[in-house]
Amino acid sequence: MQMESRIDSRAFEAFSEAVATLAGPALQRWKERGGKVVGFFCSMVPEEMFMAAGLLPFRMRATGSTGTELADAYLTRLNCSFPRNCLNLAFEGEFEFLDGLVGINSCDHIRRVYDNWKRQLPMKFLEFLVLPRQTGPDQIAYWAEEIRKLRKSLEQQFKVELSDDDLRRAIALGNETRRLQRRLYELRRQERPPITGAEALVAMVAGTAIPKEEYNELLGEFLDELGEREGIGTYRARLMITGGILDDPAWVRAIEDVGGLVVTDGTCFGTRLMWDDIDEKLEDPIEALARYYLADRPSCPRIVDTQERRSHFTTEMYREFKCDGIIGEQMMFCDQWNVENYLLASDLKEEGIPFLKVEREYITSGTGQLKTRVQAFIESMGK
Amino acid sequence: MIAGGVDLGSATAKAVIMKDGDVVGTCIAPSSGHPLELAKSVMATALEQAGVPSIDHLENVVSTGYGRLNIPFASENVSEITCHAKGAHWMIPTLRTVIDIGGQDCKVISISDEGAVREFAMNDRCAAGTGRFFEGIARGLGCGLEGISALENQGEEPCTITNQCSVFAESEVVTLVNEGTDIRNIISGINISVAKRLRAMARRVGVVEDVALSGGCSKNQGLVTALGEMLNVSVRDLPHDPQIAGAVGAALIAMERLRAEA
Amino acid sequence: MVETEHPGITRFKEQRGQFQDLHAFSQLSDDPSIRLAGDFAKLVAEYRDAIVRASEEGEPFVANNYCTAPELTTAMDLPAFTFWDGAYLHVDEESFTDGIDGTAAMGISTDLCTLLRSAIYLVENGLLPTPAATVGILSPCDGMPMLQQVVKHSKHWGHVPWFCPDPPYFRDDRGLDYFAHEVRKMAAFLEQATSRTLDLDRLKEVIDESNRQYLLWQEYNELKRAVPCPQGVALGGMKCAGIAQMVNPGMRAGTEWFQKLVDVTEEKVANGLGGTKQEKVRIYWFDIPAGLWAADFLTWLEEELGAVVVMDFSTLYPYSLIDTSDEKEIWRGLARRLYDSPMIRQGLGPADGFVNDLPRILKDYKIDVVAWPGHMGHKEAQATVGIVRETCRDLGVPFLEIGMDLFDGRYTMADQIKDRFSRFFQAVGIQ
Repeated sequence: MQMESRIDSRAFEAFSEAVATLAGPALQRWKERGGKVVGFFCSMVPEEMFMAAGLLPFRMRATGSTGTELADAYLTRLNCSFPRNCLNLAFEGEFEFLDGLVGINSCDHIRRVYDNWKRQLPMKFLEFLVLPRQTGPDQIAYWAEEIRKLRKSLEQQFKVELSDDDLRRAIALGNETRRLQRRLYELRRQERPPITGAEALVAMVAGTAIPKEEYNELLGEFLDELGEREGIGTYRARLMITGGILDDPAWVRAIEDVGGLVVTDGTCFGTRLMWDDIDEKLEDPIEALARYYLADRPSCPRIVDTQERRSHFTTEMYREFKCDGIIGEQMMFCDQWNVENYLLASDLKEEGIPFLKVEREYITSGTGQLKTRVQAFIESMGK
Repeated sequence: MIAGGVDLGSATAKAVIMKDGDVVGTCIAPSSGHPLELAKSVMATALEQAGVPSIDHLENVVSTGYGRLNIPFASENVSEITCHAKGAHWMIPTLRTVIDIGGQDCKVISISDEGAVREFAMNDRCAAGTGRFFEGIARGLGCGLEGISALENQGEEPCTITNQCSVFAESEVVTLVNEGTDIRNIISGINISVAKRLRAMARRVGVVEDVALSGGCSKNQGLVTALGEMLNVSVRDLPHDPQIAGAVGAALIAMERLRAEA
Repeated sequence: MVETEHPGITRFKEQRGQFQDLHAFSQLSDDPSIRLAGDFAKLVAEYRDAIVRASEEGEPFVANNYCTAPELTTAMDLPAFTFWDGAYLHVDEESFTDGIDGTAAMGISTDLCTLLRSAIYLVENGLLPTPAATVGILSPCDGMPMLQQVVKHSKHWGHVPWFCPDPPYFRDDRGLDYFAHEVRKMAAFLEQATSRTLDLDRLKEVIDESNRQYLLWQEYNELKRAVPCPQGVALGGMKCAGIAQMVNPGMRAGTEWFQKLVDVTEEKVANGLGGTKQEKVRIYWFDIPAGLWAADFLTWLEEELGAVVVMDFSTLYPYSLIDTSDEKEIWRGLARRLYDSPMIRQGLGPADGFVNDLPRILKDYKIDVVAWPGHMGHKEAQATVGIVRETCRDLGVPFLEIGMDLFDGRYTMADQIKDRFSRFFQAVGIQ
């Protein structure tokens, strides 16, 4: 069953171009105008800092990677395919458009990208942030300190001054993005959503690779267009996807091809990026950023004292969007999502919520097995 | 009521014609690079066996298996998990657990009283415990798949094959052969190691009797016996060729749809 | 009413018996090194016994992870056990592999470290005694914090108060002070959860005792520099770290064991005796030593190839004194011990942690070969192998990559590993 949803839209075309490659047209135009780009791993990095410094924050992806042979000498085949593919593209020179890169200890695999990059590859500005593992006041204070350090190093490297007002403006801009993205998701609550999950993912990933003002304008346009579109009625089941780094619409499309319309998620290119806003009323914008990114927004298993809250977030989202089942994606060799899915499965079983865990590799290939599993899952729900 | 089911698997394609609740025509053929032609061809042979002039005489056809998408003469496609469960359950109504060992993957399906899928676990990460694995071993031993399967070839002192990876298990077998180990003990050792793997998967889903195997590898009597011992159950034999369970399920679903429309 | 014994206590009683038997058996040997290994078993039996008695007497005890400042629990008279100590202390292999397979049946993918999987199995099946409180670590790898989350979530332990000090990343004052503060919080947590008081003077006594242990450990390590290396892997870091951090942290009995270790080893060095009959190769095992199943090939290495594991991550514990005259330094000192713990020293922060020690170790211990086990579960180590390989190349020392499971012998078989060692030694011209 193919879900028909061809979108004829300037905005969506801009989004698609941004997502289909690493340095899309919008990013290239930005660079041509003299703009600078800083790449970063992990949604926990406060991108408002880059925005405040007049930089384009680029969430790292490995779109278009065709292999990991160069990277495998450093990150072995027992490591996650996401950073392996990123490192491979880096060795092939595909990240030369970056003016800086911020690494982080989000997980064992990602943190070693920094170590290997530092030794092997050129990068004018290479920083590392230490993210705490819990959400208590001492941890928030530590993270705030990391963000202050980032402020100083950005000021030094890019010869800018980052005043509190600059940060506040960036926070307001980021919150505007989040509001628009939430509106996008609200449309998917409907019985006949105007877009598929794959299309929504295109719109979300685009937000990590286009200058924010431009993106907000396009997204606003897109939302208006969607108001006019006819909803999708030909689907068998409404699904929610939970998990980590899912930036590939093709993977979602495979699920939707067998009748599972993805109406919401709990991923870090999805709702976890925007379900809450940064508190604009807090006097110290750095504290506001620290609180939001570490403690207040929906977390991932990297944070160890919020599993119950995460589970609750998942079941709430499932009910709000009237889903029929949840698919938990998990990258191979990811210890965090492996055990998280085990805990989540047990919580969901108690709630009577159908759950399917699916392992994947970063580069989507051979979707036959995925389609079989998802189709069987849908069929087992009686849908 | 007459309906058809076609199962396009990785190793073989199967077609089944069912009339009024009975299997009246079947065909099994090795997979080719041309799935649509193959689907038509196995269907044609099954039709001939059933004495049905053409596919147009079938009231409904459902497709399943990896190649199930884009079969124009099927009104819908259903996952092979659902179809195997349905087909095996039809064959033995008391069946509650099916262990399907196909060419490229293996799965365990927990079935409800009505033959619907409750839960399932799949191993599609690697070849371990699949037809491909056994082919490799059979080559290494020079005995053919029938050799591995025959009960009389299961040695009394099975070797411990510890390697979890099928590639390494193959080289482990080569080492044993070179050391002059009794081939029958290697054979039973291999079947036991696969049974252990299947048991791990089965426990994820929960083993409830009656239990049966489906798929090509279920013809391996050595494996069936080993698995029965591992799971501490009496593994039932499917009354029809276990390879056609998926296609039977598809045909049954085809008939269910017809009844629903009526 | 007959109260059924908690299965965890039953298991601990069995294990206590096993270690008592091991000790008794070892004392029949003429070899003082073997008797010493047996003495270790006696201390482990007592370690188990302490939990059993506390349970029977209704007294509190703690479940911890390694390097959670165990001096604290000693100072508070709280018996403690580590979640996964069974694997570490070489309790029976079969129940270990049953546990690993059990987690596959529970739906946990098999690429998670086997040590952690076996711990998860024990926790989720109520096979560990229920403590009054649990403390854990969130380093050096992704898997450990996930284990801690399973503990927190577990139905068996859901009501047990839980605390994990938040770990630092870089080896600097900021990280040290941050973690020292976390350790202080952990002490306060333990007091509250167990209703025991931490007396600072008592803590100083315990730390002074542990300082003596670490000093003796350092002496032992220096003795291992001798050629031939006086002790093989059987009396190595697994036991030293076991005593200092798990079984007898800051306890006199542990210090006495270390003293005997130094005495026995000094004697061997004085007589030019090695851990193996004819030492040909000195290995730096680049991880913690492998578990019980590996005894086979490690013994083979020593006997057949004359290859001795002179140094490994468990044995490598750089000595640093905790200055008990200054209260602030007490907490910093305890925090510093985290930085130096086996595996955490290497894996906690940036890749530098893996390679900084190399030049010194290679020189001090006259290492011929660096052997990299490539444990399947150790993701951040896997991601560091390229850096380590190139560092070894720069330092001119042969680097052997094995690829195995430190705890589950079914992953790569002993025979295959032996093969790799043989061929490697031939290739680099050592044999």
